[in-house]
Amino acid sequence: MRRHRPLYQIALYVGLLLLLGLIVMYAIGPQRANLLNYAYGSSYDDNFFFSKQLISAIIAIVAFAFFAFLPYKVVTEKYAKHIFLGGLALCVLLVFAGAVLNLPFATETNGAYRWIYLGGFGSIQPSEILKFGALVFMAGFLGMRASQGKINDTQETLVPLAIAMGASLFVVVVMQKDLGTGISLLAIILSMLMVAGLGWKLLLKIVGVLVAASLVFVVTAPHRMERVMTFLQGDSNISGVQDDNSYHIAQARIAIGSGGLLGLGIGNSVQATGYLPEAINDSIFAIMGETFGFIGLVGILVLFTALLLSLLHVAARLPDMKLRLVVAGVFGWVGSHVLLNVAAMTGLAPLTGIPLPLLSYGGTSMLFIAAGLGLAFQLSRYTSHKPLTEGGLHGQDSSSRRRVGRTRYASRRSI
Amino acid sequence: MQQRTFTRTDILAIILVGCMALFVLRLFWLQVVRHDDYVQIAKQTQQRSFVMPAPRGEIYMMDNGKAVPVVLNQTVYTVIADPEIVKDSDKSKIIAALREVASGEMVSSAEELLDKNNSRYEVLARNITRSQAEKLKSKDFSGVGFQRGSIRSYPEGQLGAQLLGFVNHDGDGQYGVEQQLQDKLKGRDGLLQSVTDVRNVPLNVGKDNIRVEPQAGENIVLSVDRNIQSYAEEALKRGVEAAGATNGSVIVMRPDTGQVLAMADFPSFSPGEYYNVEDPSVFMSGTTLVLHEPASVIKSFTMAMGIDQGVISPQTVYQNTDCIAVADRTMCNALRGLGGQRTMQDVLSNSLNVGTITVGRLLGDGQSVNLKARQTMYDYLYEKFGFGKRTGIELAEAKGIVHRPDTGDGDEVRYSAMTFGQSMNLTMVQVASAFNSLVNGGNYYRPTVLAGSVDSEGRADLPDVQPVRRTVAESTSAQVTQMLVDARRSSWIGASDKPGYLIGGKTGTAETVAESGAYTTNETVATYLGFGGSESPEYVIMVRVAAPGKGLRLAGERHAAPIFTDLSNWMIDYMKLAPRR
Repeated sequence: MRRHRPLYQIALYVGLLLLLGLIVMYAIGPQRANLLNYAYGSSYDDNFFFSKQLISAIIAIVAFAFFAFLPYKVVTEKYAKHIFLGGLALCVLLVFAGAVLNLPFATETNGAYRWIYLGGFGSIQPSEILKFGALVFMAGFLGMRASQGKINDTQETLVPLAIAMGASLFVVVVMQKDLGTGISLLAIILSMLMVAGLGWKLLLKIVGVLVAASLVFVVTAPHRMERVMTFLQGDSNISGVQDDNSYHIAQARIAIGSGGLLGLGIGNSVQATGYLPEAINDSIFAIMGETFGFIGLVGILVLFTALLLSLLHVAARLPDMKLRLVVAGVFGWVGSHVLLNVAAMTGLAPLTGIPLPLLSYGGTSMLFIAAGLGLAFQLSRYTSHKPLTEGGLHGQDSSSRRRVGRTRYASRRSI
Repeated sequence: MQQRTFTRTDILAIILVGCMALFVLRLFWLQVVRHDDYVQIAKQTQQRSFVMPAPRGEIYMMDNGKAVPVVLNQTVYTVIADPEIVKDSDKSKIIAALREVASGEMVSSAEELLDKNNSRYEVLARNITRSQAEKLKSKDFSGVGFQRGSIRSYPEGQLGAQLLGFVNHDGDGQYGVEQQLQDKLKGRDGLLQSVTDVRNVPLNVGKDNIRVEPQAGENIVLSVDRNIQSYAEEALKRGVEAAGATNGSVIVMRPDTGQVLAMADFPSFSPGEYYNVEDPSVFMSGTTLVLHEPASVIKSFTMAMGIDQGVISPQTVYQNTDCIAVADRTMCNALRGLGGQRTMQDVLSNSLNVGTITVGRLLGDGQSVNLKARQTMYDYLYEKFGFGKRTGIELAEAKGIVHRPDTGDGDEVRYSAMTFGQSMNLTMVQVASAFNSLVNGGNYYRPTVLAGSVDSEGRADLPDVQPVRRTVAESTSAQVTQMLVDARRSSWIGASDKPGYLIGGKTGTAETVAESGAYTTNETVATYLGFGGSESPEYVIMVRVAAPGKGLRLAGERHAAPIFTDLSNWMIDYMKLAPRR
């Protein structure tokens, strides 16, 4: 396909979301700094969180631009495997360095090693590299299998996929205790499988296995069971808060609910002054609900929907299955973050501790999501004008074939 | 037209839009439908009411006509810690800093409290000063905070402890003027109802914030003079110790206004450290709360009643005997062997009980203290002198008791004993206030410890005091005053007086009620009630010295009078009184 104008909306939506995140951070950053200074005796400046978010946003824009212009084959073909394996190795090494060697750069949070501390440069989360690696590597692998018509092949496609994913999930969920990253990894792969045209039966089987596995996963760990129970109790215990988890949910709902139709206005958030945990990270959606109200949140959801639909728009029009899966993976990545975060904040799903893309405070997550979106933006240069059906070029879908008694053009409906 | 089938990306788009639509519905439910409920819940958790304490009024005493503070407010800080946040490495440093800066105010178990890692609030030191707090703040320990508060401070230490009272931990006045004038002193606390952050620090956001400024308590200026009070306390202490007694009280008043110039008790306490007091009876003012039989000091009143009723004059002569039969009893003089013709002046000078009983009888038919005599006495003692009634002084006071003459308790025996000051329970302030009227021309002033208001320079604006009633005729007052001067001069105790002044008084030695219920002379209480001045009485002093349960025979002449003399001579100097002649 010839290179043409990219889908500029993607850049527009990313820019708007980053700007919105900065505005909110500007308003609630001082309160956050105050609170931390009080609670931990630290001495954060009023503008600390805004400045850091600004730097993160700039880095995110640079990453977006970098992957928008770096010839995509470098990441999707040449170094895909390296990024994936490198990310996996970094995660394992981090846990090893922290838990076994007690090295200072491996910082422990809640008994897990998720962050590599880089001195004055802040810290990075290697599982984000792993996510990006899984995206490009699996897109290549599944795209190749789909092109070969072997997407439904257990031996050649599903088993290797299961091994790679099993290893990644083990590292992320079991070793790093990071359920959120695990879920978004799964979402990336499931989106790819969906778009790659995996048979419905197999798809349902995989979903069934995942549901069963997650049930086991929940039931075997008391704290996860608790979370689910808290979720199921719902509104009934909103005032009688017993544990951190239900407190978090209750406070998120208070923030959103008290925002009303139009919100309290920028700088008037009360829940951000310490009531709502993770106010600047995972709970930013609730703070935005308090600040901007129903109208504002609907606007934010519309913005995310527009971004995600434009990704699907690109994916549907990419002739190369590998590239199509890359974009589908980015869709799964961003989409899973948005859906899980918003569902948790509004009380529609249990808390998983997952940030809201581009809005939540936090450099690494923002950096790699922006990188993924930058890549998708670059790939939007190579779309066709009409949507392509999955596998249509390779005879999987008979509707695209020229049928007996029809003209040659009849089969070119979708090229 | 071919049938439109959904592509895989279409399906993802449908799922996405479906989820988003669900979110929008959910948000509509939370933010629009249930908005009011969540606003209420938010208010419950976010809004706090703070009491903004009103500064308590300060208390002033007079100092040569100028008001000076004796009770002030001091801003103090409580050092609190959140052990969950305090760094382990800081703990020993914090304790060391506390020891260095505020060792006296540190909570003794501070070290263990700081080690309670699961606690969020521990008090490490109380009532440290601002400069101590500044020093600790400068060390910048995380998890250590300071709470501001206010306590009373007493620049004069123990001075006037029972008069002033103290303020307890809850900010309530206890005893003294602190309790009695609590409403004036306390002021009105302000209220701040505000949305706060999670640490309860008020925020400027929100529409429902309420702020009512506190109204400071009124400053109070006492009529009590700091110097007289101080000297009275010293003189009392000296006298009580010299007498070998354990308790004593003294009240100094101005007879022309009823204002209290000093009221002191021994033993005393430090109002700033009231919590260290072991025996709470020291909180009680001996001049207003403790009832006692005033004994022979009442003879001046008996003389006044007789003169006022025209039944005697100071020169009236009667036949004195050592003892006299009253109904089924015999009542005797303390001083025996003075049988024969005696004047009423002799009765007062030698404290002859038979003489006052004679006056009592003269108020009736001359044969006995009959109902008419008793009714006359009751009218004077209760209605005019105010015995057995609260005086209305601005302090907690006991009422006392004077039995009515028409009841079984108010019989001839009792009223006969009342002529020499036994068988009725009174407070010192009752007796001294009535005594003011005996020597000031017959005007009864309500006793008060207040001087009125002060201006910004501390000048007291004396209220225009009016007598509340007349007790005796002016001529009666003049005669009684002279009798008291003569009584004092006739005794050795008058010899120590500064010459050239008008000084008079009467001793009292009260028998106490033994465990058997009968009066005993084995343990007695010494009293003295007198006045001094230049042309006219300018101060009235009443002294009481006791040693309850010690079995001491304290005598007014020997144990109370010296305190009067000491204080009286000092008063003449302090008030710069010019000698008459």
